[in-house]
Amino acid sequence: MEIIISILAGILFATAIYNLLQKQILRIIIGTVLLSHGAHLFILTMGGLKDRKPPILIDGIHEIEKYVDPLPQALILTSIVISFGITSLLLVLTYRTINENKTDDMAQLRGEENE
Amino acid sequence: MSNLAVLPIIIPLISGIILAFFHKKVTVSRWLTRILTIGNLGLVSYITWIVFNEGSIILETGGWEAPYGIILVADPLAITLVLTTNIVATACAFYASHSMNIKEETHYFYAFFFFLITGVSGAFLTGDLFNLFVFFEVLLMASYALIVLGGGKVQLRESIKYVLINLFSSVLFVTAVAFLYSVVGTVNMAHIAERVQEVDQKGILTTIAVLLFFVFATKAALFPLYYWMPKSYIVPNPVVSALFGALLTKVGIYSILRVFSLIFVYKLDLTHHAFIWFAGLSMIFGIIGALSTSNIKLIVAYNIIPAIGFIIMGIGVFNQDAMSGAVYYLVHDMIIKCALFLLVGTIAYVAGTSDLRKFSGLIHYYPVLGWLLFVSAFILAGVPPFSGFIGKLLLLKGALTNDEIVIVVLGLLSSLLILYSIMKIFIQGFWGEKDESFVKKPTKGFVGPVVFLLAFSVILGIGAEFIYPSIDTISTYLLDPEVYIDSVLKE
Amino acid sequence: MIFTVLIPLLLACFVPLISKLKDKIHTGIFIFFIPFVIFLYYIQFVGSDFTTMKQTINWIPSLGVNFNFYLDGLSLLFVLLISGIGALVVLYSIYYLGKDERLGHFYVYLLMFMAAMLGVVLSDNIYVLYTFWELTSISSFLLIGYWHFNERSRYGALKSMLITVFGGLSMFGAFILLSVITDTTSIQSMIEQKDIILNSTYLPFILVLLLLGAFTKSAQFPFHIWLPDAMEAPTPVSAYLHSATMVKAGLFLVARFSPIFSSYEWFFIIVSIVGIITLCWGSYMAVRQTDLKAILAFSTISQLGMIMAMLGFGTDLAIYAAVFHILNHATFKGSLFMVAGIVDHETGTRDIRKLGGLLTFMPMTATLALFGTFSMAGIPLPFLNGFYSKELFFDSSIHLTSNGLSSFAEFLVQVIPYLAVFGSIFTFVYSMYFFFGVFGGKNQLSLLPKKPHEAPIGMLISPIILVLGVIVIGLFPNLVNGTFLAHAADAVKGTVAEELHILFWHGWKTPLIMSLTVVGIGIVLTLTRKKWAGVYRFIPGKLSLFKLYDIVLEKLNSVSKGITKQYMTGSLRLYVAIILGVTLTLTFITMFATGGVTIQFDNLADVRVIEVSVVFIMIVAAIGTIFARNNVAIILIAGVVGYGVAVLFVIYRAPDLALTQLVIETVSVVLFLLCFYHMPKLRKRDETKSSKSINIIISVGFGALMTIIGISAHSSKWFDSIADYFIETSYKLGGGHNIVNVILVDMRGFDTLFEITVLGIAALAIFSLVKLKKNKEAE
Repeated sequence: MEIIISILAGILFATAIYNLLQKQILRIIIGTVLLSHGAHLFILTMGGLKDRKPPILIDGIHEIEKYVDPLPQALILTSIVISFGITSLLLVLTYRTINENKTDDMAQLRGEENE
Repeated sequence: MSNLAVLPIIIPLISGIILAFFHKKVTVSRWLTRILTIGNLGLVSYITWIVFNEGSIILETGGWEAPYGIILVADPLAITLVLTTNIVATACAFYASHSMNIKEETHYFYAFFFFLITGVSGAFLTGDLFNLFVFFEVLLMASYALIVLGGGKVQLRESIKYVLINLFSSVLFVTAVAFLYSVVGTVNMAHIAERVQEVDQKGILTTIAVLLFFVFATKAALFPLYYWMPKSYIVPNPVVSALFGALLTKVGIYSILRVFSLIFVYKLDLTHHAFIWFAGLSMIFGIIGALSTSNIKLIVAYNIIPAIGFIIMGIGVFNQDAMSGAVYYLVHDMIIKCALFLLVGTIAYVAGTSDLRKFSGLIHYYPVLGWLLFVSAFILAGVPPFSGFIGKLLLLKGALTNDEIVIVVLGLLSSLLILYSIMKIFIQGFWGEKDESFVKKPTKGFVGPVVFLLAFSVILGIGAEFIYPSIDTISTYLLDPEVYIDSVLKE
Repeated sequence: MIFTVLIPLLLACFVPLISKLKDKIHTGIFIFFIPFVIFLYYIQFVGSDFTTMKQTINWIPSLGVNFNFYLDGLSLLFVLLISGIGALVVLYSIYYLGKDERLGHFYVYLLMFMAAMLGVVLSDNIYVLYTFWELTSISSFLLIGYWHFNERSRYGALKSMLITVFGGLSMFGAFILLSVITDTTSIQSMIEQKDIILNSTYLPFILVLLLLGAFTKSAQFPFHIWLPDAMEAPTPVSAYLHSATMVKAGLFLVARFSPIFSSYEWFFIIVSIVGIITLCWGSYMAVRQTDLKAILAFSTISQLGMIMAMLGFGTDLAIYAAVFHILNHATFKGSLFMVAGIVDHETGTRDIRKLGGLLTFMPMTATLALFGTFSMAGIPLPFLNGFYSKELFFDSSIHLTSNGLSSFAEFLVQVIPYLAVFGSIFTFVYSMYFFFGVFGGKNQLSLLPKKPHEAPIGMLISPIILVLGVIVIGLFPNLVNGTFLAHAADAVKGTVAEELHILFWHGWKTPLIMSLTVVGIGIVLTLTRKKWAGVYRFIPGKLSLFKLYDIVLEKLNSVSKGITKQYMTGSLRLYVAIILGVTLTLTFITMFATGGVTIQFDNLADVRVIEVSVVFIMIVAAIGTIFARNNVAIILIAGVVGYGVAVLFVIYRAPDLALTQLVIETVSVVLFLLCFYHMPKLRKRDETKSSKSINIIISVGFGALMTIIGISAHSSKWFDSIADYFIETSYKLGGGHNIVNVILVDMRGFDTLFEITVLGIAALAIFSLVKLKKNKEAE
């Protein structure tokens, strides 16, 4: 299953990058969203996906190998929150950029040398 | 174990929060910022003194022992860079109120400024790879806020590119950390280093290392990953440009320095040897960029790239002299880049344009500004007896000891062209006929911070005897990862 | 010794203050005493019993950068020139530069230069020498650009700086190599270890780098092109820097290192050829010039070439002649520059086509010029010092030994005497051209901006003293011979040679016949100059090195612009494509080079239908985002992926993650809809075929890369995770059952603190982004 999820995450990366390489800002931002999903799945997979107990201690079960690796989950949680912050900022930034520059086409947002 | 290590991170954080509350009171904000930066500078100087005299300060946050909790490591390298960061920050704190308009200042500039320092100091001090990612995000988020401050059309446009590229490399970063965690089962850098050494960096590890290298190289604006940098660095206010130019790319290069001297040092032929190629190409293309433009801010922005090339060359050569050179050059470049960005910002302000073709003869009105630029050009090019020279001397000597002739020739040639690119501003912009119709704008307060920074450059050069031994200590330390590992894991 | 270097630098700081008094007392009067006192200090060392002196003051001992000052015969010669000519030039400048000039700047630069030049010739430490070397370039730059409101001055200043700093850097490269090989930074210790250097594989490289430094500074062909443009500097500067001292730093460098390299054949070949070509080319080009200072500039180039050639010859005689000519050249060329300055000052022009017949108006100046030019031409008269050294030059050129040399070097030995004569003929021609063009013939007063008259006596003092030098050395050459020239020559050779006696009359030997040939053919060419001047149209014709420099500089800028425009297009797509493309390619290469790919099928979780179906839906949705054509659709499809991730979190026992993901995904989708509902409609993807295929290659490639690394990383779990410790201690030390929570708030609470900081900054940023716009609209 780890291999399948890795492939899924890889596909998320691929589609994300394909969207990043587009010109319209909306597609690019969707790309970044997919990218973080891909990354989070990779982190999750790296902890192993075996059928174990959730990382909540249950009285009586003390064996370490009975629980899922909790560290990747903690890392993902941190990462999700940060991604959310960036995505929100990016959205507002995009909104303002489109309004100011009157286009949502990155190809027209190149700029010149002296301005 | 001492709580001192956390102070350079926590003080700016608290300062930022305080200033976020005072954002409407401009005068209070300005003075508070100045007092706080000076206070912080003093404190960091004290910590630096302790680190160099009594050894690294290790702090296990929350009392969780290494390698399980997050460790802060104020080792000689980290604390030196934090000190330099605070020098730069102090100069910028005093410059800011002159180049900013009140509207920008009241929109949380000072808060963002402190958050940026928080992130940068944290990135230098942390001993945990995932925590490094978090601090990267702190400093990036602050930089996103700073780059759009003012919200001009051009600014918005360039910042969106800036945000997107950095966002991508951040995601790649966190993924690479996860990969590494899977292999070595830890995110503590010392612990990673120990385990990578145990398996002799075999299998997939080098690939993950290379992935991490590209993440950092993108942030460091190394060839060929720097495209996002020049334009986005010149659109915000000069003081923001100065902070970016001095700090952001340097955090990237610091990360490479740290990771590739502590952790991934067992496949030097492959990784470090390639760095030298990147170094050479960065020098060439950075210079080409600097010569290609008549926009004075852009000239300085492009000059970041060859400087990064010099530092990465030192890491690539990886011997005592070269590493000392890399660290020396890193410190030197943080200071001089800040000074240059502030200078060209001031020049563009008084000239009313940053297009070199549109002004000349400024020396008749601004002799001090002109001579500061003149001296900066030589400092930047590595002309003795200034700071750039010592770094360059060490770097080139290290490279020649390892028979890296080509990069040395490139380094020398690029020094000449670096000088040319800045001297162009002096010759075309400052020399020339006096324009009688010119309306002189006051530059009170603009010059002080620049002089402050240049003084450090001069001290780093002329007073190298006092500083070099410390830098030498750092490079000895960097070349022996055991010391770091032991200091963190075997207290 | 150190004080003679530091004093000018220190006093330079006070010049701006002194210059405030310039209306009352000319600043130069104060300055004059500085070089004069230094000269008096060093003159005490002159004498046959001279011994070398050392003085060391530490600067950066840990890097071997120290003020190791070393006074030997060679440095003594230069020190005396620098301070002596320096004093005369300052004296001259008092009359040359009016009080309306920016005297403060002028003298600061001049003192800076003087200190730097003294430092160059006195330093035994390579890095200190380099420091002073660059300082001479910098001060020369400032002096050439002194009248920076002239376009030509700016041009000349930049040119000289680029070329000399280029040379300085390459010399620096040679120095580093030398210090790496010999493990010392002292030139004298290097000379002691010359065998190590001569056996090094880097020897050719070191030699070329070092000579580049010398040739650029001493304006040797083809780097001579900066010197004529440096004539934009005020004339005292030209006399001082660009004739008597700074341009001789290159000669000094070659002389200083010749004990190491003189036994290396390529040293002889390169230095002799470059010297002799410079001699010929410079003198040939000088005849063509119309500006007095340009004639002198090319003449200087040519004379420097001659000295360089002699240093290349390396025989005892040649080296002696070289140091002798260094002294002689300083006297007659210095005086001629001052004459040119006087003519310029009193007539308002330096154009030789407008000048002529000034003998009657300026008899004193003319007399000075007569001595200067005739000495330069090497006319055999017993009171002209130029003749002696020229004669020694001829003598040395015919006494080169070709024993044990390669055939090329042997050929060179055959040709050199002829080239020496050729170059000297033109030297004769331009000397005569200069003198008779200005002072002889008919006057053309109508063409002159000012009515000419004799210069004030103050302006004449310096050239008079120099011309007296010409005559005294000419009459009593042995006055300077044993007392310090011999010491200088010994220092260059590295051995003490037997004393040479200089005679005016050697008898009818080859050198004299060569001299007479020069004079004979020279007279003919001088008289017929106008008839053969057309030859310049073919040589150099349009192929000028001057143009080459302009083209190179122009190309440097335009090609840079061209290249940069190619890739710095501001296009995000291109940036992303390049960054990803490079990362992708090189990471793949590393992966295969290090054998990083591994797959292990044991230790994997089972594949179950429910998970596979979720995965399948997510893949479809992800690909769907590419084809979506509607704002709302694309946001919702992306939302499907997000919720899919949440489902996977549930399946893989990450309850906290699943909850967070659900909340955040929902909020995100709402935010997206809010923002993009009012945005421009999603258009069809606008890609060309080629860009589409590049996009596909990069994105699929990157996805594959990440998957392979991911699988390999998962298949290489070589260590126990630190997470085991967290599970063990979560309750014991952390007091919580939910391990993830304990990690977040306790074990890695530091992360969480700054994660919240990030969110806080984001909130502030968004707030200021929105609010600043509102403020704007309100205005």
